[in-house]
Amino acid sequence: MNKAISTRLAFAVAILSLLIFIILWQVIAQQGLLVKNFPGSFKTIGSLIWWVSDPFFDNGPNDLGIGTNLLISLRRVLIGYSLAVLVAVPLGVLMGMSKLAQSSLNPYVQLLKPVSPLAWLPVGLFVFRNSEITGIFVIFITSIWPTLINTAFGVASINPDYLRVSKSLGASKSTTIRRVILPAIMPNILAGMRISMGTAWLVIVAAEMLLGTGIGYFIWNEWNNLSLENIFVAIIIIGFTGFILDQFFGFLQDKFDYSI
Amino acid sequence: MNKKSSKKSSSNENYSHLELFNLGKIFFKEKKFIDFRSKGNRSGFEAIKDINLKIEKNTFVSIIGPSGCGKSTLLNLIAGLQAPTSGKIVIDGQAIKGPGPDRGVIFQNYALMPWLTTIQNIEFALNTVFPAKTKADVKERARKYLRMVGLEKASNKFPKELSGGMKQRVAIARALSINPNMLLMDEPFGALDALTRSYLQDELLSIWRRNKVTVVLITHSIEEALLLSDKIVLMSSGPSAIISEEISVDLERPRDREKIEQDPKYLKIKMRLEKHLLRETRAVEEVT
Repeated sequence: MNKAISTRLAFAVAILSLLIFIILWQVIAQQGLLVKNFPGSFKTIGSLIWWVSDPFFDNGPNDLGIGTNLLISLRRVLIGYSLAVLVAVPLGVLMGMSKLAQSSLNPYVQLLKPVSPLAWLPVGLFVFRNSEITGIFVIFITSIWPTLINTAFGVASINPDYLRVSKSLGASKSTTIRRVILPAIMPNILAGMRISMGTAWLVIVAAEMLLGTGIGYFIWNEWNNLSLENIFVAIIIIGFTGFILDQFFGFLQDKFDYSI
Repeated sequence: MNKKSSKKSSSNENYSHLELFNLGKIFFKEKKFIDFRSKGNRSGFEAIKDINLKIEKNTFVSIIGPSGCGKSTLLNLIAGLQAPTSGKIVIDGQAIKGPGPDRGVIFQNYALMPWLTTIQNIEFALNTVFPAKTKADVKERARKYLRMVGLEKASNKFPKELSGGMKQRVAIARALSINPNMLLMDEPFGALDALTRSYLQDELLSIWRRNKVTVVLITHSIEEALLLSDKIVLMSSGPSAIISEEISVDLERPRDREKIEQDPKYLKIKMRLEKHLLRETRAVEEVT
């Protein structure tokens, strides 16, 4: 009962703080306290409602509905990210299991991991001559590292008891990988996938500013239109989408948490 | 005392179930990629050396020694989980080359897979060892062994929902389900509280009596060894641990844990074991 009250209280506080934020924003903008012509919260909410009420129109590449743009971005992320997971998990397992694979691949991982994935954008454009594939390629590069590193770490730090049981039963290598190692490192894989998704969603916005179409391009386009309120609309939509994606992985992680 | 068993290895009774000849294990340091100093001659840690031991079929043997003396190493070698550096291990007259389903292994930390339910843990072992068995067959067999350890009702529970004693009972059921003729146990009750430990010791004894297996038990508890074993093998302190003594425990079975403590024979062996362990432990503690 106490908990129910505190949940309701937390909700009320959140609503209250949102209201205060909206009012402050409106007042500061209206008084021109920040810069001239800074859009207020009312105007921003107005255009948010306008964009959301008809999200999927298509009047040519520079005039797409925000839902259409969002789906374009999500599609790129999903394809590039899925390909990255398909490569990163087997490669990570290999790196975790074999000293040889570890020492031959680790230098590349360590060298390439700290590079902003956007640096690969010109390379992608040069090789693929296609902005769509380049976007997917950049997301692929972005997503691969956290999943790869987490998977390899998971395999390397797996409870040796599981492997001993498997070995003592005379299990083959493939049985051990499929039935013991993969389920055992599921929490690590999911943690890596969650970070990968977070980073991919950050990078797609920046990449699309240079590629055309997508939610990132929408922002760039609205900057050219000097429509700051539409940029705020995009920020809200991007934040909300990222939150949903992250929650989805949080849910999966809870399902595969063996510890509790 | 050795009843004739119907298992595949009954053809020849001339040799013991398990024989160890001059068994030794040295753990070498991992070789570094570039290593200027050692120049090829690898130095290592010698865990055990010159171990010679015979274990008869369907007997219960405990291996006891001070901590860090290489008892677990010895068990891992017999299980085939590690390869010996020297000497050989012979089971039923055949030198072993690796692990095999003729030996069931039970670990101190139960080693149940946390993503599988109790019954699935047993099914995993069965599917691995008997890939030809049908699903229904495997399920029925798994259930039978869960019933044997009294955990049929917990078959759909996950290991995290079980107590330590229940987990170890599942591990025992898993090890026995593949129908081994030897059970290798590495301090299986070490992590349990005293009451649960006694309960599981009794359980193990009755399982051993019914299933006709040879048991090799690693323990550091003198009382446990005395209550359960036909023979107690004493190991010296490591490194380079050897077998310093073998004591046969000719106490009548079934042994009652209360009455046995008044038996003068029991007390005599117990004193001898205590003396030995104290001496060897002192040797460990006073080295540094």
